[in-house]
Amino acid sequence: MSHFFEQLMDNPLAVRDNTYDQGYQLAAEQLQRFHLHWAGKRFAELRPRISVLDKLAREQGIDAITDIEQVGHLLFAHSVYKSYPMSYLERNRFDMLTKWLAKLTSTDLSHIDANGIETIDDWLDLLDAQTPLMVLHTSGTTGKLSFLPRTKAQSRDMGIIAANILRDWNGPFSRPDMLSHHRPLINPGYRYGAGTAQRMAGVQVELYAGGDDNALFLYPNQRLSADLISLAGRLRTAEARGEQGRLEISPGLLRRRDELIEMEKQRPQAIANFLETARTRFAGQDVYIGTLYGMVYDWAVEGLAKGHSNIFGPDSFLSCGGGTKGRVFPDDWRETIQTFLGFSTFSETYAMTESMGMATLCEQGHYHLAPFTVPFLLDPRSGAQLPRVDGTSGRFAFLDLLPDNYWAGMVTGDAVTMGGFQQPCGCGRQGYYVHKDVRRYSDMEGGDDKVLCSGAPEAHDKALAFLTETLTR
Amino acid sequence: MTELLQVPLILRGQVIEDYALEFGGRHGGVRFRTADVSAYTGQLTLDAPSQLADLYALSFADIVDYLESLGKRLVLDDNPHLQAAFTLACATSGLSESILRDRYQLLPNMFARQEIIDSAQIGCGIDFLEGWVEQTAHNRPGLVARVRAFGARAVHVVAGNLPDVSALTVLRNAITRSDCLIKTPSNDPLTAVALARTMIDMAPDHPLTRHVSVAYWKGGDAQVEDAIYDPRGVEKIVAWGGFNSIRHITKYLQPGIDLITLDPKLSGTIIGREAFDSDETLRHVARRLALDIGGWNQEGCVNARVIHVQSGTDAEGIACCERLARLTFEAMQQLPEHLSTPHKDFDPALRDELDTLRMIDEGYTLVGGEADEGAMIVSHDGLPVDFSRILACRVGNLVPIDDIDTAVMSVNAYTQTIGIYPDSLKEAIRDRLAFQGAQRLVSLGGAITLNGGTQRQDGIEPLRRMCKWITDESGDGHQIEQLALRE
Repeated sequence: MSHFFEQLMDNPLAVRDNTYDQGYQLAAEQLQRFHLHWAGKRFAELRPRISVLDKLAREQGIDAITDIEQVGHLLFAHSVYKSYPMSYLERNRFDMLTKWLAKLTSTDLSHIDANGIETIDDWLDLLDAQTPLMVLHTSGTTGKLSFLPRTKAQSRDMGIIAANILRDWNGPFSRPDMLSHHRPLINPGYRYGAGTAQRMAGVQVELYAGGDDNALFLYPNQRLSADLISLAGRLRTAEARGEQGRLEISPGLLRRRDELIEMEKQRPQAIANFLETARTRFAGQDVYIGTLYGMVYDWAVEGLAKGHSNIFGPDSFLSCGGGTKGRVFPDDWRETIQTFLGFSTFSETYAMTESMGMATLCEQGHYHLAPFTVPFLLDPRSGAQLPRVDGTSGRFAFLDLLPDNYWAGMVTGDAVTMGGFQQPCGCGRQGYYVHKDVRRYSDMEGGDDKVLCSGAPEAHDKALAFLTETLTR
Repeated sequence: MTELLQVPLILRGQVIEDYALEFGGRHGGVRFRTADVSAYTGQLTLDAPSQLADLYALSFADIVDYLESLGKRLVLDDNPHLQAAFTLACATSGLSESILRDRYQLLPNMFARQEIIDSAQIGCGIDFLEGWVEQTAHNRPGLVARVRAFGARAVHVVAGNLPDVSALTVLRNAITRSDCLIKTPSNDPLTAVALARTMIDMAPDHPLTRHVSVAYWKGGDAQVEDAIYDPRGVEKIVAWGGFNSIRHITKYLQPGIDLITLDPKLSGTIIGREAFDSDETLRHVARRLALDIGGWNQEGCVNARVIHVQSGTDAEGIACCERLARLTFEAMQQLPEHLSTPHKDFDPALRDELDTLRMIDEGYTLVGGEADEGAMIVSHDGLPVDFSRILACRVGNLVPIDDIDTAVMSVNAYTQTIGIYPDSLKEAIRDRLAFQGAQRLVSLGGAITLNGGTQRQDGIEPLRRMCKWITDESGDGHQIEQLALRE
């Protein structure tokens, strides 16, 4: 135990190399020492190499971290990783986009020549090929993609840590170790692409399934194109600029829109085939399924109606991010899924693209933050730090201590209630946690019946809105 | 403000002190209790149109006298109802106290005799309101047609960012001899109530008092709205702003209900190259631009947000825009307090964007924006910022252009006011701006200062549209009879 703490103080990646349960046994004082020590170290290392962090530190008058509250003044707004002018994409200025990204990472991008690049996908491939990075992009539900300078090594580390969380959740090696015993991987999405989910899927194929032969994807050969994902937002931006904007939309973009709509028409049949293949090909085996509850529930209801049940092995894992995504299920939804799938280990996580840490839900309804996640609660309007008192609600912000090439101190748009500051969770795990009911401030704003005369409703491209939603789920 | 306010329901001249339900505004912690409107739906609208007749026993002169007397009682210092509304608005509004005080103090001006007469004459035509106006059809000998504007039974879903909206509604309802139910917003549940209570204090049984009801319910509450938006009791819905509030209403549209939307809009500015003729001119332009951006703290749809500037898009052009941005920012800080102040409740999402622009220092020049003082952003790429839709709290975005056409073509159906410099440019491009969707063109600096009082509202003719226009055609009986016979 104290040995683990010493290892952590030496290198936060000790989390990867030890059983994960030890991370939930650190005493409050140890956790605080670890956080302060590494926050200070990351700040000292990254400040001279990341101009944006340097600027923020100068503005805040902070030269060294001696108190964890100082970090609360050094958090980036979540818009930072999408702060490039949209015209860089519209006008194929990928050289400028590279320069922009270089301001946010200590990874050297000076040798990258992005002249002549015409698509986001090609730009991402170029960075993949010529740097240690495998840049992630967000799903971009608002239409503008964030680009995060994560390294290939970091993504692999995340895959290992996620497997360890599952393995050690109820104690060291209390469940199977996917890393040493590969199992079939079932993923109802795209095999390739640079979206957060696709990047992780690639790592999981290697680490959990031991290769593509043991993995089933809805779209096994296709790439989720960043250019397609960004389509809706780019069209919307153009639309907001009236006739001028429409004139400037490239015909290529509009062709891709049609292509996307065509593909979407085929989707229901593709899903039906995929699920049937998953059921028949991997029946009786312990599998790893990564998806959203909505799809699994629909699959279960349909499957049970056809008389299928207990499909997979009892030691299978179902990993679902983001809970039920606002969908309301019948009270017995969990049992329905369990009866159909034949196993009960469902792992629910709360995670942000910018963070390497995944907070995992316990039976008490609390997401337990990774030991290397330093949490902050902010006043949603003023941004002031709120006291670290159990039961306090506010805007969630964090510093992730693992990333060593970008500053992972971020303010989210999430409204959360936190605990674990004074009293540990009833489940017995030490450390900080977030209550299950996580909401987005942007969703909460709309409901208060204030009426103002300013604003501009959008002429929604319904086809595109639907597609974006489908592609990013 | 954390105390629990009581907001009475105003029902046709009666103050209903029923506070069955609580509603909470997140902003400023304001909560209030008011009646459960679903219990009163049968009385809120006028199911019997014959009951409009009492309004027709009044002459236009009577109406003007009534409104003028009402105006004299709308003096903030003397009127406790208005004082309560003002105090609440200070907590809920994005406007500072100094600006709100000015708006409330100006309310009597809207009810001045000449203002009412002009409003009725320009906005509708007094002769049409007062009687049947003959309209001769030259190609139909013997036909005499007459037209008259009648009042209608209407629900007004008002916006809460300025008290003027409630006052305009009361005025227009009286001038058109209509019956109104004012649905108040959570950010101003009291101003319309204050006006109605003043009417009740003054003349509780007067027809103009008894044809006004004021209620709050949560917009979209189906239990209330299913009952209210029924063509048997309502002929017109006048909906101000708020995308969501209009979207709720559209599902009730059916033959028999006429929707008058005062759509949510955004406004902008076009500045010609003449602004850069001299340093003195540029300062002059900056002061006028500061008014359009910063007036009323940019809380209105009339305020400028994206400003196209014919500075040129090269480095020199961007530098020119940066100079204009600095001067405008300085001028904004000097605006009189009754028009503009640092915003008291700066939008956190916008602050994130500004902080990010400052940190990343790429593609844009940011002037100000460090606290709540407002900011000017210069786009280097000739395009508005991605977050142009949330520009507020005195933040403007200067977009350099080479050709005025770019600005003209960027106007769309959601554009309301465009401030233009110089006036010769306004005249040169006004027809084309109209094609693109602009509603109101003003000399730079006129967005709030030239506001056409109660007479014109962005040219959308609210008074005429609030009326039901009825025609009466007379012909010679024998001539008509002939039409029934075969040759």
